[in-house]
Amino acid sequence: MPEPLVALRALSRDFVVGGGLLGKRRVLRAVHDVTLDVPRGRITGVVGESGCGKSTLARLVLRLIEASSGSVVFDGRDLGSVTARELRALRRRMQMVFQDPYASIDPRYSVRAALREPFEVQGLKLGAAEAGQAVAQLLDLVGLSAALADSFPHQLSGGQKQRVGIARALALRPDFLVLDEPTASLDVSIQAQIVALLERLRDELGLTYLFISHDLGLVRYLCDRIVVMYLGSVVEVLPTARAKPRHPYTRALLDSVFEPDPTRRRKVARLSGEIPSAFDPPPGCAFAARCAQANARCLTERPVLADDDGHAVACHHPLA
Amino acid sequence: MALLEAEDLAVAIGRLSPLDGVSFRVDKGEVLGIVGESGSGKSLTALTVMGLLGLVGGRVTRGAIRFDGTDLVGLDEAAYRRLRGRRIALITQNPMTSLDPLQRVGAQIDQVARLHLGLGPAASRTRSIEILEQLRIPRAAIVHGQYPHQLSGGMKQRIVIAMALAADPDLIIADEPTTALDVTIQAQIIDLMGELVRARGVALVLITHDMGVVAQACDRVLVLYAGRVAESDRVDAIFAAPRHPYTRALIACIPREGMERGSLSGIPGLVPSVADYAAGCRFAPRCPQAEARCRTEAPVARAIGERVVACHLAEAADA
Repeated sequence: MPEPLVALRALSRDFVVGGGLLGKRRVLRAVHDVTLDVPRGRITGVVGESGCGKSTLARLVLRLIEASSGSVVFDGRDLGSVTARELRALRRRMQMVFQDPYASIDPRYSVRAALREPFEVQGLKLGAAEAGQAVAQLLDLVGLSAALADSFPHQLSGGQKQRVGIARALALRPDFLVLDEPTASLDVSIQAQIVALLERLRDELGLTYLFISHDLGLVRYLCDRIVVMYLGSVVEVLPTARAKPRHPYTRALLDSVFEPDPTRRRKVARLSGEIPSAFDPPPGCAFAARCAQANARCLTERPVLADDDGHAVACHHPLA
Repeated sequence: MALLEAEDLAVAIGRLSPLDGVSFRVDKGEVLGIVGESGSGKSLTALTVMGLLGLVGGRVTRGAIRFDGTDLVGLDEAAYRRLRGRRIALITQNPMTSLDPLQRVGAQIDQVARLHLGLGPAASRTRSIEILEQLRIPRAAIVHGQYPHQLSGGMKQRIVIAMALAADPDLIIADEPTTALDVTIQAQIIDLMGELVRARGVALVLITHDMGVVAQACDRVLVLYAGRVAESDRVDAIFAAPRHPYTRALIACIPREGMERGSLSGIPGLVPSVADYAAGCRFAPRCPQAEARCRTEAPVARAIGERVVACHLAEAADA
């Protein structure tokens, strides 16, 4: 097995809220003990609902925020122990695509300015002709007309803005993209366009993706491997997109997908109850309160992620 | 006769015509999905039925909306007020547009039954808690006494649904009611609404951009594109044989079980803005099959049995 491009080892992140004037100090366990490999040239999906820690995980992987414990190894280098200078050089190789691309771009920036910014941030001085060419190439790469270079964000549709966000992430020719819900706020028709673009770019540029989404249907379509998170922890790793879920939560996520086929209406009982608070995670399995199969052991003893030939599941009574 | 029936409805806002010739019907105990991308006229259709076009400066210029035998077009505001909330309820995407953050949620549900059904404080409270229980809210009596900020998004949306149900309406219009919610919660709420509609004999108009929701939850579907009807029929019939290229494209946007990588393409281009509607078929610029005629001549919606389709190519195939 070749060395993964990115390896996460026992990665955790807590957030401390309150203390002082804000009242009682409370600790939110956003990501807990995540160990995961992201293989080169593949699409690894991370799926879960709000509060499961998937967006925190995305930021930890790129070291946009610091881990409380554990490590991120990128192409053999531990991001926690490299110098600031080395980190800056590595940052060129890993980029993020956000759900709302213009949340991270100055709204007064034209598309051209937004696409030149990554070069400036890295201290790369481009001549006017060179910069113009770079912008034109990037727009072409993501299927936007060169005529849009002088547009401002308010003149762009949601899909066009996301294409600009992707072009910006690709400006420095990275190997690795972390995509955090890149299609969640788009119409389904535009979502499908963006997904098709991401597939094409992966093939053309040989990129590695970590694709974060709440939509298991989409993740199963796009990804080679699927990591399911619940309340900050990995509960299942599906070795292939079509692998049959063994964790009851993954099964419930799959049952919640609205498949566009009325002859396959689900009759199964769907999930009841709500996700517990990450401020006060239950002592046993985090999913127990919503799980139809839960027994006494599930309420008291936390299941560990056990790997069975690449298919890992954290459950005391996994589905057959 | 259907509970709600719109016929050849056209709406103007200033000199623009954002809805043109829209017809649909929904019976008691039935779910009608209205589907299309942003800008297709779905929400405007909801506002029109609710008699709230004034909010966007619009007016009905043609057609009729019959609700239980009454034509809603031209109904005066006082008469509309007696319908809204009591017989026709609206559920919007963001529950906080319908909830008062400073008032306990129970009081807000009670109020609906007190106002519309004339119940007293004790009777309305009992009724509200019953509805919350039907919506499978655990510890309903406790939730009844809580404030909106103490509840999750899914719970707040259930409170809004409870408010809609409190007056025992005949028709509920739900505009993307679950878009902002988590997937498992979304599936629960859609299921729940479907059950309630069938159990109580309410008619539900469910507005969505997602053909997956239509396939799983609706009986009939109306596909709108750029303010016009593209196609409508019973859901099973439409999915078995979609005839409008836009309907086919919308279905193909959603990954389905076993779909091969690389087969998802989306719909190229964008829904035109209402100021830029071209002559001919409005979908033609994005349609993979468009012919010369499609760009010059607007297709007329034709009915064959329950199917309505507005496409020159479908017409040519029938000839």
